[in-house]
Amino acid sequence: MNEIVKPGAGVLFMKIGTHAQEELADIIARKKEEISKTGYGMWGYGGNTCHPASMVQPFARKFAQIGQPIHLCMETMNSSHIAAPMCAAEYSVDGVQWEEIPHTIEVRGSKYALVIDQLREEQLKLPLDQTRVPVGPSTGRLGSRYVKGRVDKACLSVLDAPELTNEGDPREIDIDLVATLREPYAVFLRGER
Amino acid sequence: MNGFFDWLSRAVGNGSHQAPAASTPATPHQERRRVDLRKAINAVSDVVQNRPRPLRVFDQIHMKTGDMVLQSEIIADWADGKRLAFIGDGDAISVCVAYLRVREVLNFGPAHITVFDFDERTVEAVMKFADRERIGNLDARLYNVLDAFDVSDRYDCFYTNPPWGASNNGESVNVFVQRGMEATDHSGEGVVVIADDDELDWPKQVLASVQRFASSQGFYVSRMQRKLHEYHLDDAPDLKSCNLYLTALPGNPPREGSGAITDPRRLENFYGLSQEPRVRYVRARRRLDYGVAHEDEYKLEFLESGHE
Repeated sequence: MNEIVKPGAGVLFMKIGTHAQEELADIIARKKEEISKTGYGMWGYGGNTCHPASMVQPFARKFAQIGQPIHLCMETMNSSHIAAPMCAAEYSVDGVQWEEIPHTIEVRGSKYALVIDQLREEQLKLPLDQTRVPVGPSTGRLGSRYVKGRVDKACLSVLDAPELTNEGDPREIDIDLVATLREPYAVFLRGER
Repeated sequence: MNGFFDWLSRAVGNGSHQAPAASTPATPHQERRRVDLRKAINAVSDVVQNRPRPLRVFDQIHMKTGDMVLQSEIIADWADGKRLAFIGDGDAISVCVAYLRVREVLNFGPAHITVFDFDERTVEAVMKFADRERIGNLDARLYNVLDAFDVSDRYDCFYTNPPWGASNNGESVNVFVQRGMEATDHSGEGVVVIADDDELDWPKQVLASVQRFASSQGFYVSRMQRKLHEYHLDDAPDLKSCNLYLTALPGNPPREGSGAITDPRRLENFYGLSQEPRVRYVRARRRLDYGVAHEDEYKLEFLESGHE
């Protein structure tokens, strides 16, 4: 356990790598600059496992109500993401009201984005056997049974102790990059600029 | 049922194939011929092609196509000769059921099907498909399940695959079921398609909640086909659903009219955690490229000899 992954904490886990034809190191440098210029950054992503309105926002708000932050814990991997590097023009918290994305922020090749600050390289362990899905249709599923196959990101709450099973070796994920989510936590994106 | 579908239904239905006690075919029994699987799959493929894309924010999640084929045959068999109301139908099982009969893949099916859905894209897709394929016994109406139900039209049975109520202990399921029961004047049968999972707690709580609600309305669980369907659901790829059959008790009295649902306790977390209903209807944007690739999906780059 560590300061971020500890019993009762909320963690948004995500595998990361090349995105929209941009190398990870370049993305990290660009996002750090966004945060320093804007005060926050937008970390683009896709898929439905962390839908902004039905998953990430209620998950993060639940923890915010008890004064706890949500940390975005990222595991680097080798990947090739061939989506076009289109830069989104607008964001929306609810998919209804849309606003312009500040010109100091570029979110490329994504339909959703997490709103983050304090992006930093940090090595820590995330024991998936000690996490559970707290929101959505997989509520209650153990993290280690949930994060597999095509599921490469997840909202997770950290349990007091790992679940003991005979299913194989415990799954500990090496986290390389950490950020903190900030309100409104996750947004929809659209348009091109 | 005969042949492949019969075997398949028995295999996935845990042997619970007997008809519900209250089920009486409205038409004289006729021999059911073998199903041509290729024709069945291709017919369902036509329907899938016509279906609007799902809006996840309203818990519209599509059933996988193979399961739609099987489900359509099950529902056609169950509602043979009856008037069937679909309380919401993003999957388009209603269209599959009607179309399989028109295409003579099945020689049985409901006498009439009406789809009630708050998504105008779904309503229009049903009506356009029915018009194009000359399906006279299929129609659709724009209707939000929170509004009072027009009980002047009576149905023999209802079908619903509602938001599964993971975050409100099944209350969203019960709202859809209530409308289905009203459609039958509390004297028919219904099939409720809801989550079914051995590992998770919430689907069991929801199943219990729905059974309690059904009991309070004078219905009983007459059959259950477990873990039958899979979905295009990225965040729960292993989650399956069951068919829960509800049947009205003999002599179940009709209830007084139908009212709007406004109780905040029933609306809380309706479409998931912190997702109260705010939208009455999803309206369709008018477009001329219906059923083909939308113009904003592509642009043309011409050969040098081509003309712009």
